[in-house]
Amino acid sequence: MTSEHPYHSLADALCDPLFPDVDVALRQGRHIHRGETERYAFLSDANDHLERWYKKYGCDLVRTADGYFYLLPQQDKVRRRQLSLAEMLIGKVLALLYLEPATLQRGGIVDRTLVFQSLATLVGQEHLMLRLNPRKKKRDERTEQEQVRKELKQALLSLCELGFCERLDEESIRLHPPVLRFAESVRTAGEPGEALRELIRAGKAAHVDPDDTQESAAVDEEPDSSQAQEGVE
Amino acid sequence: MIELHRVIGSLQQQRVGFSLDTTDLCFLVTLSIKGQNESLSCFEEDLLYEVFGQVCETTEPDAQNVRKRATHALQRLREQRLLSRVDGAGLVRAGDYTLTPLAEAIVQFLLQDEKLTRESLAALTGALRSLLAEVLGRAQSARTADDWQQQVLAPLRNSVRDLVSGIDRRQRGMDAQQEEVQAQISGLLQRDWFLAIDHCEELLESTSTTLRELNEILLRDLGHLQAQLTEIESLASDAEQADSVAAALSLGEHVDRVRAWGTSRQHVWSEYYQFVQRYLRDVVRLDPERALSQRLRDQIKEHVHSPYALIVAEASLLRVLREESDEVIRPPVCRPRQIRERAPEATFADRRREEMDAAVDRALAEGVPSLHALLSRLLPEISPSERFAWTGRITARAARSALRSSEHDCPFVPIDGNAGFCGRPESVLAVQDLKLSPRRP
Repeated sequence: MTSEHPYHSLADALCDPLFPDVDVALRQGRHIHRGETERYAFLSDANDHLERWYKKYGCDLVRTADGYFYLLPQQDKVRRRQLSLAEMLIGKVLALLYLEPATLQRGGIVDRTLVFQSLATLVGQEHLMLRLNPRKKKRDERTEQEQVRKELKQALLSLCELGFCERLDEESIRLHPPVLRFAESVRTAGEPGEALRELIRAGKAAHVDPDDTQESAAVDEEPDSSQAQEGVE
Repeated sequence: MIELHRVIGSLQQQRVGFSLDTTDLCFLVTLSIKGQNESLSCFEEDLLYEVFGQVCETTEPDAQNVRKRATHALQRLREQRLLSRVDGAGLVRAGDYTLTPLAEAIVQFLLQDEKLTRESLAALTGALRSLLAEVLGRAQSARTADDWQQQVLAPLRNSVRDLVSGIDRRQRGMDAQQEEVQAQISGLLQRDWFLAIDHCEELLESTSTTLRELNEILLRDLGHLQAQLTEIESLASDAEQADSVAAALSLGEHVDRVRAWGTSRQHVWSEYYQFVQRYLRDVVRLDPERALSQRLRDQIKEHVHSPYALIVAEASLLRVLREESDEVIRPPVCRPRQIRERAPEATFADRRREEMDAAVDRALAEGVPSLHALLSRLLPEISPSERFAWTGRITARAARSALRSSEHDCPFVPIDGNAGFCGRPESVLAVQDLKLSPRRP
């Protein structure tokens, strides 16, 4: 086995002890970036073979210029899902923070509070409450804020599991290059709508009806009002 | 050994504390430099006021009542043992003052160049190696406790420790320098964005090179120092010199910490280096106008109105079966459950009561005159053991179905013949001979 062609065949790649881990991670939606040295190197070396392998499952093994891999199911052989509204909003804010030179100073580490603050500033607290926790019946404001905060925290955890970021402790999060996927639709200077349509055509994204978000959120369980705290920080 | 609790208790009791603002520190630094430049052994009171005024002009140009502030500052510095009066004249005349060793140490700390360079580190480790070699030689030739005390313990506790602390201090300086570089890179990008790339890369490279060189020196020399210290400790241990053993061990731990610092900083810097390189390549070079952030910001604002969602794979987790275990499962201690419900059994219907009631009614209808006559007629059909009980039932039935006369006139009469026997020969039934007459329908 040479360093130029470490895997002569698909069988070689599948026999690598790293394959099971990488395969399970990719199928669960994980984005594998350069920081995960061994797994990234394995995917880079076995890319040609694995691309063909995953084609059989109706999936694209996507390799981006930003230095990360992910699996994109194009058919239903491997289950897929759309990110929730909260996940999308948090993801976009993480991407924005990733681009900030101030984040660079801390080596890509941001505080959770800063993420929520930035989101509340950009979208507006009222809009967030309305979209993430829409109710026909007006309830206690603190309870609603608690519900929204819970949903945002859950979204952040979910993004960590998908490899966009990494939870260092209760408050700190390290951002990884896959977070730039959230900025993909505005990457080029052209019309953003066209870039988005291109993403949808490629099966990387899907349109969401704003009313659907409200409907799905409306069936959520009511939180315990006794646990309600302050609003989105 | 220092008793930490006692020291802390004592400091707490004395309410030891420092309160120095920027003007105070600048004042101390100015005094120290002035003393050095003009070879002053002490400072007259007027000079102190004059210097304080000059410092105040720079640090707080709008300050009022400078002389009053100077008086308070001098008082504060004296209370904190940073300035002491040395003339001993008291009230007689204005005093002469000097900086205490504590104040000199603070000034020295603020002025000294803490930069850790290849040269400074190499010089320090070189000096340490030669000093330790000397101490090792003395330890090998030490014969008495005094020899150990003066030739080994004293240099270990003073000179060697000072040199190791020197490296330690400069390492902290290096940490500060790294933070400064990180802030510089961030500031450069904030200000110049695309134009700052080259400068950022230069900064990154120079710091990386410095760190790499420092680590090479640390790895090469600290191993040697550690070996020398181990040998000294071994000799001290053989000579039963507990203090020297403790000093050598303590220094060894210090050297280990220095080495660990190098490894850790190299690792942290490496992560930062890679992150910045990626950032410069993926973000700055691809977005020279820095328009991406603004476009993304606009999109976030609009996202709630026209949302879209990224697609990700979501295969369920593989089901991992538990391995078969040889563990013996002991059944819980319990009592078998009692079956409270019994299965029904086939049996004959006991209709004797109904039949007897009908016989009583029939006899009454036929005109049986008295209870005695009724019982004499019906009891022979009943077994002797049951006759007593049936006598009561027949009487009750007769009472419901017939009228009777007053009981005062009715004596008890034994039942005749076999019908009066109830089990044992001596037991004979006797009843009141109540007259019966059928009820009107």
